[in-house]
Amino acid sequence: MVEIKRYSPVAFKAFPKRTEARDNWTVVLEYDGEGQGANCLVDLSHITRLDVQSSNLDAITPFGITIPQGLCDSVLQDGVLINRMNSIQASVFCLSGKRPEMPAESSYTETTEVGMCMAIIGKDVFSITEKLTSLDFMDSAKITPFLYQAPMSHIPCQIITLSRDGAKSGILFTASRGYGKDMVHAIMDAGAEFGLKPAGEDRFKSWLNTL
Amino acid sequence: MSLTITCPICGKRDGYEFRFGGEDKGPRPDEDGLTPQRWCEYVHLNECVAGVQKEWWVHKDGCGSWFTIHRDSVMNVEVATPEAHK
Amino acid sequence: MITRINQLPTLRVDPANKVVFDYKGKDYVGVKGDTVATALYHNDVRIFGRSLKYHRPRGLYSLDGECSNTCMEIDGIPNVRTENTLVKQGMKVKEQNVKGSAENDMMGFIDKLDWMMPAGFYYRTMHKPASLWPVAMKQIRKAAGLGVLSPDFEMPGKFDQIFPSADVVVIGGGPAGMNAALAAADKGLRVIIMESRPWLGGFFDYRTFDYRDAQYKNSKPLYSRARELASKVESHANIRVFKHTSVVGTYTNNLVTGFQIGTENDKFNERYIEVRAKSVVVAAGCIERPLLFDNNERPGVMQVACVHRLAKTYGLLAGEKAVFSVGHDLGLEAAVDLFDLGMKILCVADVREDGQNPYLMIELAKRNIPYLKGWVASKAHGSKLVNKVTMTTIDGTISRDFDCDLVVASAGLTPINGHLTLAHATLRYDSHTNFFVADKMPEKTHAAGRMLGLEDSLSIEISGKLAGLKAALDCKLMPQSYGNTETDALKSEIDSFTAQSKELPGPARGSKFVTAPVKGRKTFICFDEDTTIKNIKQAIDMGFDVPELIKRFTSAGTGPGQGGIPGHNLPLYVAKYLAESGAPPKPTNVRPPLVPTLIATYAGSKHIMMKRTPMDEMQRADGGVFRKIGVWERARYFSDDFSCKKEIENVRNNVGMLDGSTLGKFRIHGPDALKVLQRVYVSDMSKVKTGRVKYSAMCNDDGCVIDDGVVIKLGENDYYFTTSTARAGATIEWLRYHTRFDGWDFYVINLTDSMGVINLSGPNARKVLQKITSEDVSNSAFPFSGYKEFIIKDTIPVKAMRLGFVGELSYEFHVPSSYMVSLWNMLKDAGKEFNIQNFGVEAQNVLRMEKCHIILGQESEQRTNLLDLGLGFLWDRTKKDAKTIGAVALRQAENDPTRFRLVGFEMENNGRAARDGALIVDDKVRGYVCTARDSFSLNKAVGMALVESHLAKVGTRLEIFEDECGGERIYGTVVPMPFYDPDGKRMKS
Repeated sequence: MVEIKRYSPVAFKAFPKRTEARDNWTVVLEYDGEGQGANCLVDLSHITRLDVQSSNLDAITPFGITIPQGLCDSVLQDGVLINRMNSIQASVFCLSGKRPEMPAESSYTETTEVGMCMAIIGKDVFSITEKLTSLDFMDSAKITPFLYQAPMSHIPCQIITLSRDGAKSGILFTASRGYGKDMVHAIMDAGAEFGLKPAGEDRFKSWLNTL
Repeated sequence: MSLTITCPICGKRDGYEFRFGGEDKGPRPDEDGLTPQRWCEYVHLNECVAGVQKEWWVHKDGCGSWFTIHRDSVMNVEVATPEAHK
Repeated sequence: MITRINQLPTLRVDPANKVVFDYKGKDYVGVKGDTVATALYHNDVRIFGRSLKYHRPRGLYSLDGECSNTCMEIDGIPNVRTENTLVKQGMKVKEQNVKGSAENDMMGFIDKLDWMMPAGFYYRTMHKPASLWPVAMKQIRKAAGLGVLSPDFEMPGKFDQIFPSADVVVIGGGPAGMNAALAAADKGLRVIIMESRPWLGGFFDYRTFDYRDAQYKNSKPLYSRARELASKVESHANIRVFKHTSVVGTYTNNLVTGFQIGTENDKFNERYIEVRAKSVVVAAGCIERPLLFDNNERPGVMQVACVHRLAKTYGLLAGEKAVFSVGHDLGLEAAVDLFDLGMKILCVADVREDGQNPYLMIELAKRNIPYLKGWVASKAHGSKLVNKVTMTTIDGTISRDFDCDLVVASAGLTPINGHLTLAHATLRYDSHTNFFVADKMPEKTHAAGRMLGLEDSLSIEISGKLAGLKAALDCKLMPQSYGNTETDALKSEIDSFTAQSKELPGPARGSKFVTAPVKGRKTFICFDEDTTIKNIKQAIDMGFDVPELIKRFTSAGTGPGQGGIPGHNLPLYVAKYLAESGAPPKPTNVRPPLVPTLIATYAGSKHIMMKRTPMDEMQRADGGVFRKIGVWERARYFSDDFSCKKEIENVRNNVGMLDGSTLGKFRIHGPDALKVLQRVYVSDMSKVKTGRVKYSAMCNDDGCVIDDGVVIKLGENDYYFTTSTARAGATIEWLRYHTRFDGWDFYVINLTDSMGVINLSGPNARKVLQKITSEDVSNSAFPFSGYKEFIIKDTIPVKAMRLGFVGELSYEFHVPSSYMVSLWNMLKDAGKEFNIQNFGVEAQNVLRMEKCHIILGQESEQRTNLLDLGLGFLWDRTKKDAKTIGAVALRQAENDPTRFRLVGFEMENNGRAARDGALIVDDKVRGYVCTARDSFSLNKAVGMALVESHLAKVGTRLEIFEDECGGERIYGTVVPMPFYDPDGKRMKS
């Protein structure tokens, strides 16, 4: 008998210390020797993501949350992150990690499987990203959380800056699933000089709680 | 790439995030009564202005939208209005 | 070894900290902070290399890497600029372009043969007869050139890149640049300052001379002022300092690129830097304009700053007895300074009539240094090193020889304008400073400091401050910025500093262009390319009158130094020689990179970003041979038999599995979704039935096929469709482009990566499938072209299609990517009893070719339209209102007899398959082979070709020309298509 399992497009060179089976994913909560280093990379590819498109986006409230009006604005509420992509489209990230009840309307398309999803957290996040992209994360005209639809390491991404507050700094991004392996390599290589290490979902969640 | 382009959704970005979509030649002509000549002109003939022209670009590595800008083809810079660089 | 002066406050080396390195196999000792060039000089190396063409001895000249004189091979890397490279423990240094040694080069005799090689002689002599050229080229290549790189050379070291964000970029970390950085940073802007030397300070850094002290309140010497500024800059929260960083490109829209050389503490050897600033300050300073006289590049001839900095920065006296021939005050200052450090100064000749700083004249007089006004060096003597110099009055009437070991020669100063002109500044010749100055500056770019002709320290500093404030104003005037009150305050601040600067000395008068009264046969205007004044005259006499063309013809300024040496002299000389024309000097163009840059630095960390399917790891473990195909890594073969015989036979006779995940997949929905499909697909998409797959194609406006795939109706105005792998990335863009004027309401999502695709093919496919699902998959319940959605084991949702690309009973499963491995394993497990096998992209290619199913890009190229391929049946001509892309062109092409036709052919006499891309010929090219293979299913070689229509009839003999066939043709015959299972019984069974 073949066991049914779901696999993330992202794999780290680290041993999982604690894991949790969730909706056929094996979610790593903590890696061996993960510690509390200054900077970490977390695989969140298992979190549910949705695409919502409508010419009347105002009438749609994913999980009861109002989609932000401003282009490329984001909102983080009750563990749900919603990013306004353009006048008719938004992306929804269910950061709690639990699979939510799917909205029935046809304007939604589940996009969990479309991409990898990762978070880079720590004081040197923007020293790492400036080796991968020319985006200006410190642009004073933007207020966190905000969305960039732009390439990182040459690959088109959705990048949400959740915090740029010193050690609490962190971004979340998605990109095509197929690039998972090379993206991890590029980020770990860029982050090596800043001691970037893989970390489990617990680290992400405790960070999220501080925002 | 020195060129920057202002995407109506994402703002000003490096030119390499975009793909050129040709000069602005208006909507497709109706097929009824369309002569081969006129069709060829619509599809293939360009003004190639040495100066400011209105053209289509797509933000391929970004939000994916199509939009027009005015570009000075001599200096290869985006300009706010057709008159801006005259 | 010369003794180092250890006690100077300006030193940038640590004499106590020894560094041992290898030069030509022997240990040499330098000190920390030394460049390779200064360390070698310290060790009495005087001849660093031989010149490109004439193998003349060359040595230290500028100390800033402005020419190839001191390029060497370091740690295996050729052409390293030793003046810009810090010496490191264990470094291996070798000279280059020498036969023997730099000291005794066996090719040195070539210098005497210069009369054989007038300007442009390669172009003019070596082409008649044509057969001479390859022979000549070989010999010339052996004798000329710089370093040598072996073909299997692998670049050592770690390279990286960085794209920092900043509001203002300041190019140049001298007094003007530092003031600019501080002024902008104090206004709250993020500033990046880039300095090519390993420290900030610019031309203040090595100067202790105190005649200007009084102008600073605490009588500060210039070097302490520089260090005071540097510490302010380096500790400023808003300023990022990039030292040892050369700016190599400046472009419109304030894009600045450069590279930084890493220190011992950095994780990179070099890294590429690219910044998009809102405003740029260029304070790049000046270099010296070489003095033109005979043997002006003989080792022992050096520029003023070279000698001055060798002493003050590195503690090395360049010689014992020096003669100065200069044209600016820095030369006088250096003479006084070096005299005080113990150098014997035989005389200081100055080409200027007047304008000398009186304080300096007094200091020279105090030291009894003979001063010759209106004199100039005319010839350096000595076969390898200078041992004598002839000094002459400018008119050439009186001359005098001096025995010396050092000639300090500098005609004047020249601004480093490259950063401005690259960004499209236009230059004009300014007869006051004798500089090329920017006439029209690039937008939001400000120049400051010495490049404006300023010499007074306070003027330089205030010009920097002003540039910084102007840059700040640029930023604050941009949209989404601060309030107007702040810009008003800034404007008035700028006004008040402008007023202050007017009180200070303005641009100084520059020295006029003077050449020694010599013929110029051994007067070098460009060291890198061994171009002499005589060559320039030859070019002009041949009719070249524009410096840019003379540069091309004589190659002056095309070497690694990028015009640093000839950049100013060439236009001045041309203008002087063509004096009667009265035209002002015209500068030559500079191009990026302004400073030689390693390709490895541009490559940076070299991450190759490729897509991988969910099956990647498993297929590699299964022996998959992977190839990069478009953006994907794909398993092309599953053994080292690249004919894929076993893989193919297994699909034909049994059952195989292919990973087709790279296929493009999309959902389109919304009120106008069908309208969009009608626009882009040639078929009538309103006829797509639920539960069926519809095959169709997309054309471009020329009717040429760009894509094919299947469309499935999920619901009203809700479709799922596939595209070819190559088109996936551009599909949404295409849909939106061709509907951009219609205002339609539709939504597309690219699901390419979200769905893995398993192709299960072969006569046993159904038996395998039935084992993992309770769904009725019989031929009647799930027939050919059918579509079904089912859930495997109550968990995995699958979109299943009956397709026939490979010509057998075949299922295509679209499954969420994360579940793909699990489903694959289930099928593999279920197929064990049949001995199910993998097959790769090449096996699929052969299988479908036997069936004459096309692959776009193989059976088509840019000009191939739908009708050429025999796919005209897909086109619905009635839907004119849809304005289907390609329809107009197809209608026009319908009766065009000149178009190609896709035909099937088999090889004559059981011959092997022709190569893909081979030409179909008679006395002309009549077409080409698209795909041809030896078919194991048919026991003969077959293929498809695009040919002119008169060759399309069955039975026509095709003459095939292959690359390098040496006139030997092979032949095929046109046969009906498809070759395999023409009735399609197998795929429909």
